[in-house]
Amino acid sequence: MIKRTEAIVLKNKPFADADLIVTYLTRKYGLINVHAKSPKKIKSRFGSSLEPLTYSNISFFGKEDASLPRLIQSDIINPFQPLREDFSSLTKIYEMLKLCLTFLPEREPAEEVFILLLNTLLKIGANSDSKIFRLYYKIRFLDIAGLLPSLDICGRCGTPPDTNRRHYLFYIADGSIICNNCAKNERNPFILSKGSLNFFGSILRWNHSSVDRIKAPEKLISELLELINSHINYIIGSKFVPKL
Amino acid sequence: MAYNIIDELINNLTKLPGIGRKTAQRLSFFILNMSDDEAKKLAAAIINLKEKARFCSVCFNIADKDPCDICSDPSRNKGKICVVEEPSNILAIERTKTFKGLYHVLLGALSPSDGITPERLKIQELLQRIKSGGIEEVILATNPNTKGEITARYIKDILKEYDIKITRIAYGLPIGSDIEFADEVTLTKSLEGRRDM
Ligand SMILES: [Zn+2]
Ligand SMILES: [Zn+2]
Repeated sequence: MIKRTEAIVLKNKPFADADLIVTYLTRKYGLINVHAKSPKKIKSRFGSSLEPLTYSNISFFGKEDASLPRLIQSDIINPFQPLREDFSSLTKIYEMLKLCLTFLPEREPAEEVFILLLNTLLKIGANSDSKIFRLYYKIRFLDIAGLLPSLDICGRCGTPPDTNRRHYLFYIADGSIICNNCAKNERNPFILSKGSLNFFGSILRWNHSSVDRIKAPEKLISELLELINSHINYIIGSKFVPKL
Repeated sequence: MAYNIIDELINNLTKLPGIGRKTAQRLSFFILNMSDDEAKKLAAAIINLKEKARFCSVCFNIADKDPCDICSDPSRNKGKICVVEEPSNILAIERTKTFKGLYHVLLGALSPSDGITPERLKIQELLQRIKSGGIEEVILATNPNTKGEITARYIKDILKEYDIKITRIAYGLPIGSDIEFADEVTLTKSLEGRRDM
């Protein structure tokens, strides 16, 4: 049967001669892989619509249990072309897409994530500096997926952070801040400033519409982004992939 | 007869891209009916290709000698380098018979999703060719898709400091198509790439 939904291209990979397997995040069906016939041929009806980040209305055909539905149509809503014009910009955006590709199970609706990604791409497209939006996206994604680092209590004894301190110790392997009593002489903590700790708390309270109105110091954004990236790399590396 | 010599050929042919079981079967029976001489030539061509094919150390085209025929052809314009992703792209451009310069094969295109970073491509080698002088124009003929586009931009940026002309193949509407059916990205790019008449 034919299904229709809004979708964003996460990636595509060559298949057979001139075909592609396109991985979409869809509004209705979550993460899906579809088979697009002959998009590489010059006269293909798919045109540029299968390029990464393209936001479109798609129709695909496949039986309920078919492993690879066939793409029938894709009409571009927003190509997000400027976001994929240079290597460093696309590399940063790919870090966001990778979260979907790694943690979302196939064909399980994830509309909240779809809306988060779509809004983030729209914000990045409209602003010259994408850092705060990438940070917001990553934290929100981890929140939805139940993978947030724990910054509110010590991961070992449960004590809340001492508000008199100016720095806190975060241990990547614990995914948590650890109080000085528990950490003792353990090496290589991530030093987190009090400002970043509070900033993290406020990000969790924001919604999409307020994210571009918050002015945060560049230093805090960079510090948190570094911590979140290390946290993500650690959970991807440990292959801990929970179900949403 | 569960497994016989014709099955063996069929199974091997299905490993080729775009060849399904049915096509493989048809090809196998066609080969069976070939003259001995023709069939041996086909087999020899495959063996020859595997034994002699190597990358040209100058342009990374696939050739049977080094440098390749194109790089060592004195009639070609040594001031122009056309940069492509794959050796097969050279064959396509050569069929047009309109380009008389040299080539440079990157052996891929930048792709964050596949972990293809600049170091994995033959970009440093291109830079070396340009540094050694005599190049007037670099034509970026990577594919008109996201990977090809970011690769072209990346190379354009690193070549900025050299006094050479850098051009990008035009994006156009395919000949025989209709503007009404072109998507907005293709159409935007063709408008941007319009030229005087
Ligand atoms: Zn503790
Ligand atoms: Zn050569």
